[in-house]
Amino acid sequence: MIDVIDGGRWTTIQDRGRPGLERFGIPPGGAADWFAASVANELVGNEPDAALLECTATGPTLRFDVDAVAAITGGHVASIADWQAVRVARGSSLAIGTIAPGLRTYIAVRGGINVPLVLGSRSLCRLGSFGGGFGRPLAAGDRLRIGQTVGHQPLIEPWPISHRLPLQGPWEVHVIAGPQIDAFAGDALDRLAATACRVTPAIDRMGLRLETPGLRLQAQEILTVPVTSGAIQVTPSGGLIVLHVDHQTSGGYPVIATVISADLPLLAQARPGDTVRFRVVDSTDAARAWRRVSGWLDLDR
Amino acid sequence: MWGITPAGDRALLVTVGTIIDPALFGEVLALDRALQGRQPSGLLGTVPAYASLLCHFDPAVTGAGRLEETIRQLEGTVEAAIPSGDVVDVATRYDGPDLPHVALKTNLTPAGVVERHAGQDYLVYCVGFAPGFTYCGALPEEIAVPRLVSPRLRVPAGSVGIAGRQTGIYGVESPGGWNLIGRTLLRLFDPAADPPARFKPGDRLRFVPIP
Repeated sequence: MIDVIDGGRWTTIQDRGRPGLERFGIPPGGAADWFAASVANELVGNEPDAALLECTATGPTLRFDVDAVAAITGGHVASIADWQAVRVARGSSLAIGTIAPGLRTYIAVRGGINVPLVLGSRSLCRLGSFGGGFGRPLAAGDRLRIGQTVGHQPLIEPWPISHRLPLQGPWEVHVIAGPQIDAFAGDALDRLAATACRVTPAIDRMGLRLETPGLRLQAQEILTVPVTSGAIQVTPSGGLIVLHVDHQTSGGYPVIATVISADLPLLAQARPGDTVRFRVVDSTDAARAWRRVSGWLDLDR
Repeated sequence: MWGITPAGDRALLVTVGTIIDPALFGEVLALDRALQGRQPSGLLGTVPAYASLLCHFDPAVTGAGRLEETIRQLEGTVEAAIPSGDVVDVATRYDGPDLPHVALKTNLTPAGVVERHAGQDYLVYCVGFAPGFTYCGALPEEIAVPRLVSPRLRVPAGSVGIAGRQTGIYGVESPGGWNLIGRTLLRLFDPAADPPARFKPGDRLRFVPIP
């Protein structure tokens, strides 16, 4: 078991989420930085769908009552060697502390965090108050059971720096033209791409509000449509909302562009005040970017 | 002609229209059924709304171009019909915090608003936004009012709201900007149930006032 001594700012149990249930209003969820989470599981030898901990801004303090193998990835923490499998001795504590650069840090434990599957996933669905073991973020006093299912031996080497994504801005985020691009003026996407957007403090797993200094996009409300992770909505005031993994499943703001899947992890690590520049690509480029980043996970071990 | 546009690198959005209209919605449901019947390789799932259908696909198996081709073949061939089913009663206590304000805006008494809201059957157009949130239409023009200027941070589960020509029921506690006129004890979302949402697109319901 793992005892939660301090839950940290916002620590949740996540796996690859529950895509496919959007028609019930359920967001896909899962680790916001899918890449860092996958690496953490890979380092400890877990199956790709093992549940782990997603920490935000300030991580938790955990005490292990068994010997364990863990890996910390994602946003940097000074407290422990990250991006490599480490032994955690029985009786010892892991105090994650402040996360920087980056915003979200993942803690994988060999065997996975064993909480019940709800609708096919162990991820917390905050809006529905289910999953994630407790239906809420972790709090002091929670006890976590370690699972038994493993895929392969833990990796011995640290994860190569060449095979990691950037952890701090300014962020270059690739997008493809959105489903309601015709609701905007012909040059709107070019103007957006030429703007240094700024991340506001209003960011969470549902989405990120961005300001567009010097640019006022004109947008009308549209008939409610289904939306996806990465959708960049333009609100009536001209601001942007970039939807993330726990996004509402339908929305009434037009979507000017959509962030490619390979770049969603970048937005999971962006912090208030950071600069984001959008670069427009096509679906071939998006596929190439996906192969590049997901290919890193197939490291020869 | 259907609009078929990329919604990111692993989904297509099919848009059949831009207004709330049972005929357009019937087309969405028909397309959804046709795709479920045909099961094109790489299609992972669909999400219907008023006049659009989102189609998630696995880019390792298929491409946006190939899926679009499959969908185009269905255009004009699908039978746009909404399956007829029982009308479900939604027992509703009309004590919502915005009822007096809605009455004021519509030049009706609160009882008049309730009479009109409860006086007809509704079609469930989609379940979305948050778990179990049920979008229904069409609300009588007489009681159509715009959304709240600033949304509430917390709306209790079961709240019955109206906005424009829509009425909806909140499936879980969530933020929300609709005018709240009542509340039902009917459980709309249960993660342990199969399916987890009480209603699905194409269902019919009516609001039954209770004291």
